[in-house]
Amino acid sequence: MSRLNILVVDDDPVTVILIQKKLVKEDYAVDTAEDGQQAVDKLTKRYYDVILTDLMMPGDIDGIGVLEAAKEWNIKTEVILITAFASIENAIEAMKKGAVDYLQKPINFDELLLRLEKIKNMKMLMKNATDLREAMDVTEQSSAGTIQVLELEVGKLQTLISDINELLLNDNLDAQSRIERVIEKIDT
Amino acid sequence: MLKIKPDEITLFSNYIHKLTGISIDQSKAYLLETRFGRLLQETDSTTYADLYHKARMEPGKHLEKKIIDAITTNETLFFRDTGPFDLLRHKIIPELIDSRIAKANGTRPSLKIWSAACSTGQEVYSIAIVLKELLAKGNYNIKLLGTDISDAAVTQASYGDYNKFEIERGLPKDKLIKYFSSSGSRWKVSDELRSMATFRKINLLTPFTNLGKWDIVFCRNVAIYFTLEDRQKLFSQIAQVLEPDGYLIIGSTESLTGVCPSFVPKRHLRTIFYTKR
Ligand SMILES: C[S@@+](CC[C@H](N)C(=O)[O-])C[C@H]1O[C@@H](n2cnc3c(N)ncnc32)[C@H](O)[C@@H]1O
Repeated sequence: MSRLNILVVDDDPVTVILIQKKLVKEDYAVDTAEDGQQAVDKLTKRYYDVILTDLMMPGDIDGIGVLEAAKEWNIKTEVILITAFASIENAIEAMKKGAVDYLQKPINFDELLLRLEKIKNMKMLMKNATDLREAMDVTEQSSAGTIQVLELEVGKLQTLISDINELLLNDNLDAQSRIERVIEKIDT
Repeated sequence: MLKIKPDEITLFSNYIHKLTGISIDQSKAYLLETRFGRLLQETDSTTYADLYHKARMEPGKHLEKKIIDAITTNETLFFRDTGPFDLLRHKIIPELIDSRIAKANGTRPSLKIWSAACSTGQEVYSIAIVLKELLAKGNYNIKLLGTDISDAAVTQASYGDYNKFEIERGLPKDKLIKYFSSSGSRWKVSDELRSMATFRKINLLTPFTNLGKWDIVFCRNVAIYFTLEDRQKLFSQIAQVLEPDGYLIIGSTESLTGVCPSFVPKRHLRTIFYTKR
């Protein structure tokens, strides 16, 4: 699988740069945004596997806003929220709205990398499943086509056979004309 | 994982066939092992035979239900194969409605649709969406029934509640937004769609009693698990509960050739359906 695309969102440039550096070093593709608005602009233009966003940010859109926009835009994008204060309520609220995880500031990078690794594994499994399904769909569609043709063809032949049967047993005709009618029937 | 022995395969395959009609041959050891691994643990069974005997002895039949849930393949998705749903929208429903209005002479015309192995309900709600978008509310008596042999599947269908993997499959975004609401990572069908359907547990290989007659029967991707003999039994039972001008829809890779002489295949656009001879 190719590298995970990650969008890091925080109004504190120092945090952003720090996270970016660490993640790039671990071979993740990283993009950044300095507030909620910019994050939403970006995530509607391209696909991110993971969005790592601060919960509290100035402006109209906070971390929950980013989370909602991301999920609305593409349900496959996973969102990790970063909170300055550990607040159970916030965490529960975020998880309810579809966040995969939340981290507390200051960020423990080992923990972050571990969680990203988990997401990556999960995405890989999902991709496997999707590939299998696609392969199954192709097989299914092609065999469905064949079966349809056969089914209709057999249906026609069955009708033909019962028609022929009827002709052959028709007492009002002599043998010669029965055979003539049958040949006619088969030709049409 | 605990290996299953050949005589245990025979034991289970007979048992499962009797319970569900699902046909499992001697080569399916892996299937039984993966499906029953958890049940072995849950029930503290040391062998598959042990699990079998526990299930047979238990008066409440809880374990038997769990065995049915575990062995059935509930694979399904919204608008599976799309063709049948276009067929409903553009041909079957308009035609049936015309004929039912003529029959109803003034009273509310009725339409009865049965999804005969509905699994977790996606097929039923897909049908409900088509009905909803096609027919004005209140003008018709609609009966939409989903049945399945698996308690777990029927329960989920009845809740109309799906995780994000299930909801993603086959459901266009506009319909998702219109007919489902999300709470956390789960999605729930709207009351409006939910109220159109009823769900029940029915084993398709037992006699259909008190089932009534149906205008449209969906029986897709279930007979594939049965022997030819059981398929014949199933489709002749269905022929008996289908109205004379009713429609039968089967799975896209299924065929009734050599299975049931009561049905004639017909084609509309890319989709095959069956009517009674
Ligand atoms: C693969 S699903 C098909 C779902 C849906 N009709 C579709 O095509 O997407 C097959 C379903 O058949 C059910 N099933 C298996 N044996 C059955 C039986 N004897 N009676 C009723 N349902 C049965 C299983 O529980 C499972 O949910």
